[in-house]
Amino acid sequence: MTLAEVPPEVTTAGAATPEFERAAAKAESRRGFLLAGPAYLYLLIFFAIPLGIVFAYSFANRNRFGEAVFTDAGFDAYRRLAAPIVRDILFRSLWLALLTTAICLVIGYPFSYYLTTRSSKVRNILLVFVMIPFWSNFLVRNYAWRVILGKDGVISRITDFLGLGELEILFTPSAVVLGLVYGFLPFMILPLYASIERIEMSLIEAGRDLYASGWQSFRRILFPLSRPGVIAGSILVFVPSLGAYVTPEILGGAKTTLLGSYIVTQFLTARNWPVGASLSFVLMAVMLVATIVYFRAGGRNL
Amino acid sequence: MTDPVPAVTITGITKRFGDVTAVDDIDLEIGDGEFFALLGPSGCGKTTTLRMIAGLDFPTMGSLQIFGDEVGTLPPNKRPVNTVFQAYALFPHMNVADNVAFGLKMQKVERAERDRRVAEAVGLVQLGGMESRRPNQLSGGQQQRVALARALVNRPKVLLLDEPLGALDLKLRQEMQLELKALQREVGITFVFVTHDQEEALTMSDRIAVMHEGRLLQVGTPEEIYQRPANRFVADFIGRTNLLEATVASSEEVVLSNGMRVAAASEHPTGTKVAVSLRPEQAFLYRRGAAPAGWPTIDGVLREVTYVGNALVHTVAVDWITIEVRTPYRSTETTPEVGDEVSVSWEPGGVTVVGD
Repeated sequence: MTLAEVPPEVTTAGAATPEFERAAAKAESRRGFLLAGPAYLYLLIFFAIPLGIVFAYSFANRNRFGEAVFTDAGFDAYRRLAAPIVRDILFRSLWLALLTTAICLVIGYPFSYYLTTRSSKVRNILLVFVMIPFWSNFLVRNYAWRVILGKDGVISRITDFLGLGELEILFTPSAVVLGLVYGFLPFMILPLYASIERIEMSLIEAGRDLYASGWQSFRRILFPLSRPGVIAGSILVFVPSLGAYVTPEILGGAKTTLLGSYIVTQFLTARNWPVGASLSFVLMAVMLVATIVYFRAGGRNL
Repeated sequence: MTDPVPAVTITGITKRFGDVTAVDDIDLEIGDGEFFALLGPSGCGKTTTLRMIAGLDFPTMGSLQIFGDEVGTLPPNKRPVNTVFQAYALFPHMNVADNVAFGLKMQKVERAERDRRVAEAVGLVQLGGMESRRPNQLSGGQQQRVALARALVNRPKVLLLDEPLGALDLKLRQEMQLELKALQREVGITFVFVTHDQEEALTMSDRIAVMHEGRLLQVGTPEEIYQRPANRFVADFIGRTNLLEATVASSEEVVLSNGMRVAAASEHPTGTKVAVSLRPEQAFLYRRGAAPAGWPTIDGVLREVTYVGNALVHTVAVDWITIEVRTPYRSTETTPEVGDEVSVSWEPGGVTVVGD
């Protein structure tokens, strides 16, 4: 019995009546609401209201000191997003986020499957390994990559030693994707693992028994059945990649400005709050549309 | 002329999982067109044996032939057998028709032929009209039929069934037992099925292999297994029985532990400790002293009477053990009551000697 199903306190014993049943149902729903109350309150104060404020600013204008004012409010800021530089940044961000998602899927899927084939002891150890990076600060880990990928870094020295020349990928989109994949891979692996683990292995055996090769049983049985995990993992990687700020700032160069950095610039450096706010909302809209399209393409399972 | 080639020939097959020996050096021949049961308690190696025939597990050692072709090292998709899995393992993301068509698609059977065979198989298991249902919209019995159709549509040389009726309730299980048997006669394919239910094995199979702790204890027709169990385990596992400890006195006679001499043929050397198996339905209950003259008789006290519908099961305490006696129930008869002094008796030769 869950907490919400606990019947109302009965103080007097007696035969059941419809009134009592109704009162019990009402008490139950009231209790349910009380349980969710703190979460509702928190989200309202710290998420919904700030979001509303940003939304309002996206329609604001700037006075001649650069301050956001609400006289002649309108779609001016949104119109300015049509500028080629914003469009380029948007497409670049989309492309890098998609690439990151695809790489995470290609690396994460086989690993997640491998996890499910291990004994539960080995599995738990490996899952801890997947999550260990979370124990240290995200910023620190990104700076670590800067050291590793730098001109004097380990990787560069190895390639140099092997006669391949010094590796120069720091401050390029490649470094950003590498950093994003590194940062978000666990978000792909965990939901994938959870969904593959639920699949009965006898289904794969049945496929093999019915003349499917290993590849066919993957394509026809394992992959379709793990689709909820693929979708959840992809969204969990794609959405933060698209709005990523820390990794592109640290590992990307000046030429690889992404949406996150551009929005921060608008707010803090250019002091153009309306453009920053409107771009934030466009980004949210893009994520929402991409997520819905992906869900739909994923079929009925979700 | 040579003998017809057996459907499955297992020679010296052993399967180890780490330190555990699941199947221990078994030899088995399953004839073409047989309805063959692998019977034993859980963990006896019967399912592993079936999985090795299917190719889902590879033997550690030994030879496995299907119609004379060595297949021990082939993957399941290269073997001319199909399996009905224990919990059916129907593909939840496909409807009935797609489930049944799966094997044919994988074998690249052309569309028209495939549709024809799927329709035929669905009809064979009486699921016409259900083609577009998903497995989760079907009852247990219907899922079982889909699993059968999905395997049979490929026209395997051998059909393997892993506890095919285990998930069904009693009534449906009894229906499906008869139906499976009829189906097997109709398609004429060798069926090898695994069960832990001795009654099911007796009802359905042409021959039964009894397994215990990875070993093959006895292979024979249901009647042979029931009437002439090879050892104590088989006697006890198949049906119910009373095992009376005894010592072999001669090839014609044994001595029970109370000193009573009982006529029973055995091939064990004199002095061997054996058990005498007295089936509850071969034992008769009489009031003390009323047993037919010349019948072996043991006196005791009636301890318990259980009414099981068509019979009464009497538990009789004799000197050193309790004996179960099963008597057909007739409402007109008066029977002894609990506490009465009674005798348990049997027709001379109505017992079987079983060794360890």
